[in-house]
Amino acid sequence: MTYHFRQALVAMRGNFTATLATLMTMTLTLLMLGFVLLLTLNVNRTLEQLESQVEVAAFLNVGTDGAALLKQVQGFPQVREARLVSSEEVLEEMTRDSPYARDAVTLVGNPFPTTVRMRVGRVEDSRVVAAAVARLPGVGDVEYGAGYVDPTVRALTAIRAAGYGLVGLLLMGTLFNILNAVRVAMYARRNEISVMRLLGATRGFIRMPHVIEGVLLGVLAGAVALAVLTPAYFGLARRVQLLAPVFPVVTDPAVLAPILGGVALLGITIGLLGSLFASRRYLQELE
Amino acid sequence: MLHHEHDFILPNNAALSIRCRGKRMIDFKHVTLEYPVTRTLALDDISMHVGKGEFVYLVGHSGAGKSSFMNLVLKRALPSKGEVRVAGEALAHYRGGRTALLRRRMGTVFQENLLLPHLNAYDNVAFALRVTGVAQREWPARVTTALRTVGLEHKKYALPLQLSQGEQQRVAIARAIVSDPPLLLADEPTGNLDPDNSREVLKVLQNVNLRGTTVVVATHARDLVETFRHRTLTLRKGKLVRDDPYGGYAL
Ligand SMILES: Nc1ncnc2c1ncn2[C@@H]1O[C@H](COP(=O)(O)OP(=O)(O)OP(=O)(O)O)[C@@H](O)[C@H]1O
Ligand SMILES: [Mg+2]
Repeated sequence: MTYHFRQALVAMRGNFTATLATLMTMTLTLLMLGFVLLLTLNVNRTLEQLESQVEVAAFLNVGTDGAALLKQVQGFPQVREARLVSSEEVLEEMTRDSPYARDAVTLVGNPFPTTVRMRVGRVEDSRVVAAAVARLPGVGDVEYGAGYVDPTVRALTAIRAAGYGLVGLLLMGTLFNILNAVRVAMYARRNEISVMRLLGATRGFIRMPHVIEGVLLGVLAGAVALAVLTPAYFGLARRVQLLAPVFPVVTDPAVLAPILGGVALLGITIGLLGSLFASRRYLQELE
Repeated sequence: MLHHEHDFILPNNAALSIRCRGKRMIDFKHVTLEYPVTRTLALDDISMHVGKGEFVYLVGHSGAGKSSFMNLVLKRALPSKGEVRVAGEALAHYRGGRTALLRRRMGTVFQENLLLPHLNAYDNVAFALRVTGVAQREWPARVTTALRTVGLEHKKYALPLQLSQGEQQRVAIARAIVSDPPLLLADEPTGNLDPDNSREVLKVLQNVNLRGTTVVVATHARDLVETFRHRTLTLRKGKLVRDDPYGGYAL
């Protein structure tokens, strides 16, 4: 084993450019992947928070049967919960928030309509639900919480998709780089390999240094990626918490550790699989 | 009529008879080799066998098929027709990854010595043990024995470039025999050597043969074949045209 390990190091030093290129794409891939995963994590966390807050409110025309409408609304699959709030209750709430409301009522009567308040399962659904509810008879006006939710969700989803796309491309780039590195390494020692074959070395024995090289590259890239990603993320998280405390930034190590660990593990896995594949293929080519 | 059982030579050692079933080390039955890409007919319906412990020359003009013969035995090429058996085992038996096991039963020496330039004589010989997974504690004794057999025990720390071509070739022979294969194939082992070194190498090969190893030498060197007489197979354009039990060079 020490022999194979030494051979792997010799090969990596001998083909320094190929090794470096592989290491760099691999690290970049892992960084990008880590970035996208962490972004997704935080986006999901933020959306969850928004979801728990976003309400759709339907204001009923005077004389509408509130109970019947509530039943109808509860029939929508996207609606998680719905309740009927009478105009008196609304008035109560408003009074609690601003005591002057009571004075206004004495002048103009209760201006607040009976309201059906709904919570949706997913934020993205609020627009759909609002539109559907608005079409129901007896519904005057519909409001849904925070118009900002909609474009935000769409933008974040797009960023996430683009991120995964980029990660996919980078993964492919990494794989090609590994294939190339192994190929260069094997061609560099093709004389030795042909001697080994004549002496009765098994394929596994000949491939071993190259597989070790792949795994080693994976370990290195994973380590570099983590070394960059971890402090960068925590630094950024601190700043966000400071500047925009509304965002629920995830800093729980128990949540982050598996993600970061997974990124490193993926690096090692790519290194292993890529070099296994490449060494088999190029050994056949050399025969 | 080309078949014959050979009865000169030598104390067969015990280990050898265990490793080799039957009396035949190499056995060709109607073997034809046509290289697939160029469609060259390199060997044409060859039937012959080499007994355990024999020393055999393979002679013929350039292109007669000597290396092709070696390639078949080494399973570097597959016969288009017929069957090749080595040590009693059909080569079809060594499928895929098992080719390595076949190669472990034979040492090989070529015109180019194929030594690894960055390793000294000792390490080059030990390399054969390394790649076949022999325990490291066995190396010193075995490598030393092999180097002694070729008369180079005193040069074990020399790099290939610090050795004469003849010495390099002898290191290659040491590497070929260090794992005690029952068969040694030498394809033009003296091709790059002057007459003195050629003789030296041939003596070494005879010594190896005296230890019980079957030796097949493909060569152009008429004087060697006539000086050190052994059974001689003559190929001409892929056909086996002579099989002289007592040697002689007649193309
Ligand atoms: N790998 C190959 N692919 C196609 N044709 C080959 C190959 N090797 C040899 N040949 C052809 O097969 C024939 C026999 O070649 P071979 O190498 O066996 O001859 P040889 O007796 O060893 O010659 P030499 O004394 O020059 O080494 C030749 O016509 C050669 O061109
Ligand atoms: Mg030849």
